[in-house]
Amino acid sequence: MSERRIDAVAKATGAAKYTADVVLEGMTFAAVKRSDYPSALIEDIDISVAKEIEGVLGVFTSKDLPGGANLYGRRVFDVPILAEERVRRVGDPIAAVVATSREIAEAAAELIDVTYKELPVVATARDAIKPGAPLIHEKPWEYKGAVVTPEMGINIQSIDTHGSREAAEAALRGAAHIIDETYITPGDHQGYIEPQACIADYHPDGSLNVWNTNKSPYRLRDVLSAVFSLDPKKVEIMPTVLGGDFGGKGSPGDAPLCTALSILVGKPVKMVLRYSEDLLSTDGRHASEIRVRLGVDKDGKLVGGIFEALLDGGSYAGFKPVNTVNLHGIVDAAIAYRVPEFFVESKIVYTNNQPKGHMRAPGSPQAAFAFESALDELGRRSGIGAIKIRELNLLSNGDANPYGTVWLENRGKEVLSLALSQPRTQEAPKGWLYGEGIAIYARSMAAVPKTSLRLRKGENGKVIAEVPIPENGAGGQTVVREMIRSGLGIDSDKIEVKQVSTSLLPTDAGVGGSRVSLGVTVAVANAIKLWKEMPADQELVEVTTSEGSDGPSGAYSAQLARVAVDPATGQLKVLEIVSAVDVAEIVNPKAHQMQIDGGTVMGYGFAVMEDLLEDGGQPWALSMGEFKLPNVADIPKLTTALLRGGKGVGPNNIKAVGELANCPTGAAIANAVEDATGARIRKLPVKAEAIYWAMKEGVSK
Amino acid sequence: MKINFSLNGKETELDVDPMAVALDVVRGLSLTGTKEGCGVGVCGACTIMVNGSPVSSCICLVGTLADKDVWTIEGIAEKMPELIDSFVEEEGMQCGICTPGQIVAAAAIESVGASNAEEIKKYMAGNLCRCTGYQTILSAVEDHLAVN
Amino acid sequence: MQSTEFMIPTSVSEALDNISREDAIFLGGGTSTALLYKTRMIEPSRVVWLGKVSELKGISTSATTVRIGSTTTMAEIAANREIARLFPGVSAAAGVIGNARVRAMATMGGALAHADPRQDLPPALIAVGATVSVNSSSGSREIPLKEFYEGFLETVLSPDELVTEVSIPIRSNQRSSYLRYTPTSEGDYPTVGSGTSLIFGPDGKTIEAATAVLCGVGTVPILADEAARILIGSSGDDTTLQRAAEAVRNAVDPQDDERGTADYKREMASVFTYRSLKSCLNS
Repeated sequence: MSERRIDAVAKATGAAKYTADVVLEGMTFAAVKRSDYPSALIEDIDISVAKEIEGVLGVFTSKDLPGGANLYGRRVFDVPILAEERVRRVGDPIAAVVATSREIAEAAAELIDVTYKELPVVATARDAIKPGAPLIHEKPWEYKGAVVTPEMGINIQSIDTHGSREAAEAALRGAAHIIDETYITPGDHQGYIEPQACIADYHPDGSLNVWNTNKSPYRLRDVLSAVFSLDPKKVEIMPTVLGGDFGGKGSPGDAPLCTALSILVGKPVKMVLRYSEDLLSTDGRHASEIRVRLGVDKDGKLVGGIFEALLDGGSYAGFKPVNTVNLHGIVDAAIAYRVPEFFVESKIVYTNNQPKGHMRAPGSPQAAFAFESALDELGRRSGIGAIKIRELNLLSNGDANPYGTVWLENRGKEVLSLALSQPRTQEAPKGWLYGEGIAIYARSMAAVPKTSLRLRKGENGKVIAEVPIPENGAGGQTVVREMIRSGLGIDSDKIEVKQVSTSLLPTDAGVGGSRVSLGVTVAVANAIKLWKEMPADQELVEVTTSEGSDGPSGAYSAQLARVAVDPATGQLKVLEIVSAVDVAEIVNPKAHQMQIDGGTVMGYGFAVMEDLLEDGGQPWALSMGEFKLPNVADIPKLTTALLRGGKGVGPNNIKAVGELANCPTGAAIANAVEDATGARIRKLPVKAEAIYWAMKEGVSK
Repeated sequence: MKINFSLNGKETELDVDPMAVALDVVRGLSLTGTKEGCGVGVCGACTIMVNGSPVSSCICLVGTLADKDVWTIEGIAEKMPELIDSFVEEEGMQCGICTPGQIVAAAAIESVGASNAEEIKKYMAGNLCRCTGYQTILSAVEDHLAVN
Repeated sequence: MQSTEFMIPTSVSEALDNISREDAIFLGGGTSTALLYKTRMIEPSRVVWLGKVSELKGISTSATTVRIGSTTTMAEIAANREIARLFPGVSAAAGVIGNARVRAMATMGGALAHADPRQDLPPALIAVGATVSVNSSSGSREIPLKEFYEGFLETVLSPDELVTEVSIPIRSNQRSSYLRYTPTSEGDYPTVGSGTSLIFGPDGKTIEAATAVLCGVGTVPILADEAARILIGSSGDDTTLQRAAEAVRNAVDPQDDERGTADYKREMASVFTYRSLKSCLNS
């Protein structure tokens, strides 16, 4: 049985300290003047009025930045701390004010007068790759960390491919039935409730302390050291509690700007984004346009597929952390299936929209919507059936996925049948149409991230675990406590788990990729082993684990959406989402369940309401009044069925769960809408209006 | 301008700009359990209780609190420990940024007399949570109402 | 930054004296004002907060009229049993606005004066014949709510005029309803909202007077007069309801936005007028 989470009381009483709650002696406050235009040259920045405001300590533009450093990023350094001669999106930071209060800083920032010369706008990914399209960056291949070459074409951030296009085309030519459709998803935001915030405190001796809404403290330390040529040993990222993340808080955010300002004014500088700025200036989910071609033989077996994704990366590539500067969820689109010839291309392009980064299972919600919708359509159109086509083609044990990898086990068919076996409990309102839709998602679990931690003797027999990870809500620190409790056989109240700053532990890969538990469990298991062998006079054990791999294993989920549609309006009511989830051992059942429920609700939001409303280079959803997130009255009944007994990885025999539940939801709902109405919706979010017109046109009934 | 009100059960006089929002004022008093989220009265992270009703402190001008009975999470936690227990026991939280607002909203639920599951949902719909999927929060509120 | 003078009058006459200064504004619950003020969209030199003017607060019912004081909150309107019994549409509208916190803070007078055409309350109130009472230092006047709105965020009020109350006549044989359509999220502004009322003749069957009002489909609440005309004299049979609902399409003037295209809103205005009328008949 799991005991209550480690951070529960502090969070419930308001005592937990988040970045915005930190107060330092002599702290000053920053606010930013942001671009009003998606694409323009900056002809003049007039700071004369702003800097005379009482309480303003300084107004800074790019030419003031210390050491001339300006570009930063997670892999590609293409994001300017402050715009130089040009802005590439609405919200690009142009100048920053430091003042004695946040209100003064904000008011002064509004008084900065920028003269722009408007440039043509590239508003969509499709427009970005048209011959002769305006170049968002003149020579993107020259940026540090860039993975593009001039030969790839214009406005490219990255292209990732897998498989052979020719072989896939040949296979499709021989297919008995094919589907060829295009699916569209919008730009989205992680929707964490805590806006991004930072405090930088630079000292004359070259040392720097940073509090930042950031889940990867060691990577942040390295970025700041690189940008400002600081000694990494003197850059200390301080512990904080994170108010939600979902991928959005892996980027350096405003830490480079805050650091620059602290160097410039010689005082601690705090900058807390207003939520409207956060919607405008952070790194949400890529909008996608994905053409899917799939073919089956006369027996319903997949023979080949071509999956071409065009993704809107926005104005900068710098927020994608992985080596490919791409989204692995896209190239993993068919990972649950046996597809003899599968070609996938994931092309991410620059536009004048908000830069996009990683959001809960990067690329997978888009890819799963496209692939699982197309497969469903192929099943229905060919007469094979939407369920049958999945049963025929899901991997069995011992089968290789399109990468040639064979996982320890494949339980896609089992989660499918488990989802379908859950009894229906919700009735459609009288007069409404009822339908069901299914979608499946799988993700690989092989990489074990590096981390480190220390166990230390405390007073009265206490064990103190010092960890490098911030608690983002997923419960990583509680997992540490649970392992120590069972591993050492001591009570929870004798265990303290605390995050320490970056100088106090050697390394960590950061929270993310559904692998926190895995990396942590490896390190804790090692530490417990050392602790048990520790001589009595020794005070502590410290372990550092390197990147490794295990398995390879994978985890599956199947979601069954049960929906009702009002035939007079097209209004969609999702009555229930059943999630059948492939699990091995579960370290903390309650936290595990919340990952499924929270993920499903996030998938539901992506499916039916979330949209940054990017149009013409302007995001129109700039407050939570317009950028809607699901509330408790909106959501369907959530039902979970666990498929236990799986073969997991790591010392605790676990499977990833954090990114399993939010990926299949969009397709499950769209598939259910066709089942109910005959109308096929290929664009998220699924809107009542789209269903209404599609029903009127009698699409594909 | 001097504003008098009761804050967490204590008579309080503040010399503040009456046009400041209550969120900034209480946080300025080190009551940082009240969180700034959306800033436009939608998300509920900044919920405080005023005369028994839930209020968005981010769009509440502090001048309008004159002579009122104001509670923040810090006061609620002392006054209603059983409500805190309900959220802790049910684990009605993950990242925790919305949690004080959820709890203060739950503390003020009597203002609308919500009791059954549908009424609770309608009332709590103003408090967004991006982590939990709401099930444990609902359990905590239901648990609290069942006990009281 | 200039500071704003914050006045706390305790009577209507004191409030009217306070407002005399140019660029002074009245403040009710303050939800909209706070948002506009903190984003520096408005910078009044003085605000006149009405929270201590007790004569503006509360709901009273006589044999002929229900009076709602202008600083009565949405939550208070929604919780009032007499209003729920007599004007279920008004009760429903007040109970769905925004969220529980907005309903606890926002005042009726503030909402009416704000004049956002997506608001739920105006169509519900107009449908049942509400009249707005307005005071200023130069006198008072009564304005039928249906004549109160001039345009997007614009009313007929002059800056020194104060909404003191809304009165709704109690009519026997009246049935009313308000329905909103929020297909994306419960907490959203409505794509369309429909307030309707039907007054039946002495036989209890023949419709003698009808009103259909919509929000979200124009710059002001829209009265569908042709729909009303079609209903009068009928018994509210289904064919007539459908004809009336059809007529709504021509009355509304919606715009494309994220809550729907103009074409869709026109269709939904018709559907929800029909449903609102049905709801009147079934109440």
